[in-house]
Amino acid sequence: MTGSEVFGETAPPMAPSSAPQLSVVAPLYNEQECAALLIDAVRQALDTQAASWELILVDDGSADRTAQIVAAAAAADPRIRLLRMRRNFGQTQAMQAGFDAARGDVLVGMDGDLQNDPRDIPLLVAKLAEGYDLVAGYRVRRQDALLSRRVPSWVANRLIQWITRVPIRDNGCSLKAYRRETTERMHLYADMHRFLPALAAATAGARICEVPVRHHPRRHGASKYGASRILKLLADLLTLGLISWFREQPLRLFGFAAASALVIALPFALGTALTWRGADGAAGYPYVFPTAALVWLLLAGYLLLLGLVAEVALRRARDAGREPLPIVVERVP
Amino acid sequence: MSVVGVGGAEVPVDVREAVDVSVIVPVDAPSDSLVALYREFSAPLREAGLRFEFVFAAYAWLREHTQPVEALARDGEPIRLYEVGHGVGESTLLKLAAERCRGRVLITLPTYRQVEAGALPLLVKQVEEGCDVVVARRFPRVDSIVNRLQSWVLHRIVNPVSGGGIHDVACGVRALRPEVLGELPLYGDFARFLPLLALREGWRVQELPATVHPKAMAARLYGPGVYLRRLIDVMGLLFLLRFTEKPLRFFGLIGSAALLPGLVILAVVFVQRLAGQGIAERPLLLLGVLLTTLGVQAIALGLVGEMIVHLQAPRRRSYRLRGADAPPRPPTRE
Repeated sequence: MTGSEVFGETAPPMAPSSAPQLSVVAPLYNEQECAALLIDAVRQALDTQAASWELILVDDGSADRTAQIVAAAAAADPRIRLLRMRRNFGQTQAMQAGFDAARGDVLVGMDGDLQNDPRDIPLLVAKLAEGYDLVAGYRVRRQDALLSRRVPSWVANRLIQWITRVPIRDNGCSLKAYRRETTERMHLYADMHRFLPALAAATAGARICEVPVRHHPRRHGASKYGASRILKLLADLLTLGLISWFREQPLRLFGFAAASALVIALPFALGTALTWRGADGAAGYPYVFPTAALVWLLLAGYLLLLGLVAEVALRRARDAGREPLPIVVERVP
Repeated sequence: MSVVGVGGAEVPVDVREAVDVSVIVPVDAPSDSLVALYREFSAPLREAGLRFEFVFAAYAWLREHTQPVEALARDGEPIRLYEVGHGVGESTLLKLAAERCRGRVLITLPTYRQVEAGALPLLVKQVEEGCDVVVARRFPRVDSIVNRLQSWVLHRIVNPVSGGGIHDVACGVRALRPEVLGELPLYGDFARFLPLLALREGWRVQELPATVHPKAMAARLYGPGVYLRRLIDVMGLLFLLRFTEKPLRFFGLIGSAALLPGLVILAVVFVQRLAGQGIAERPLLLLGVLLTTLGVQAIALGLVGEMIVHLQAPRRRSYRLRGADAPPRPPTRE
């Protein structure tokens, strides 16, 4: 990637030789009050440790002065970099942009609203060095409203855990540390940042653990989450289940579904057999049972065909072959 | 697809910088006087002291209509004409022409009249002042109420998705920076919605009020086939703008709208059967079965869509950064 592709309008390009060891990525959307505080907090937290670092702030199309504030900081300190999105693309895309631009071997993602504490970064990084690919923070003593945030979040986390079997208590906490190999194998789209650990486990084969992190109430600005997200969440969970369990064998999922349709067709077929009055039928013969049996049979056939389409899509993507295989670590030589 | 050019091949490369504006005219239907179009719309550009070229991209079978333009080009007018063999659609014509343009600013100009020619230099000026796409907005709309009504209906459908920032999506007279076209999903008839696609990529899109062309005053009504095509295009656009990354949200919505009532009906019928009521003679059971299977089908289709999106994810990025003219590429592993 050339400098002009990665850097915003204002950040000075750096030579690749000065690549830092640690890249911290934070998306910012209308955070003019928080931006400067965040930069200071990260600087304070990371200056005490030995590793070289960079802070990548992704301005996600803010309408306020966020970008100007960060640009000024970036001009004064080459470790701070600004990426500017052309419009508001959302947190997932901003995170992905930051990951794509990061040069460190260890990446840390965090919220831009100061609810995460940068002082936790060294803890996560140390845990990563113990042999994990992804270390997720979970918020102890969470400083959010109980009914509107914490209860829905608890339900969502249980659902995610149940569907993906990845034992993460707090998917909503953005503060996470990754090895570069993991982020290169994960590709975030739509709203996938909410399910990052599950996605990392499913697509990158990442070894995951959780550590407790601090959580602060919002000091400035408004929370950017809307309330009506349940249907969207359900659709996303269905997708997540598909990715977690059937991404290598979609035909199996559709095969199961087709088999279920066949099973449902059975009682209707039975009903048909019991009420059968010869091929010519008779006046007043009820056609409901044979018709329903046929409809279920049709559905089974349709699902099987759809499964084949999914297999074709999978084969073609695999043949194009850009996705690296999951990480393999040799434990016992 | 073969592209045959006239008048372009002889121009040396160093002339490239000497053109301010390239006017692209996609010719996908018989058009009576392209020469008159050229004369009318080149005049204000010439007056404004802009160095311009006209680039016509036409289907080969329209040779009869493009021949006079070719003659003009041979007489030394700044015109280039490209012929494309197939019926590739207006969007592709536009794209093919844009790839061969030399101007710092591009203008798209339909073969039919929409706004007066005087708008062109103003559009160019606004792009040079830093805007990425400037759309001529027919304003005030003094043409036939029939036309305005159609436009109103179109914007009723499109606005909820686009945010309503564009008041005249259907006006084909637009000025833009060449980089903009490079990454837009322009195919089929989506060129019609270029401003909306540009907004989605994060480009700065503005409007410029322009006088309605005298020839565009009369009411325009089309056959039912045209409206059907437009409707399908708009639906395709809405899907493209909102659901390309999350097909299951779309199919899931449709699917659950059928699945939930279907399940309720089946449950009711089931309970009634347990209560001893006969169900074999009643179509209600059939309705429940049909709705349920329809819902399952829609959701299954959405899942296949999700799977394709997921499999494409390593190869594409949908965010766009400022100061970057090319779409971002996922890091390649060495």
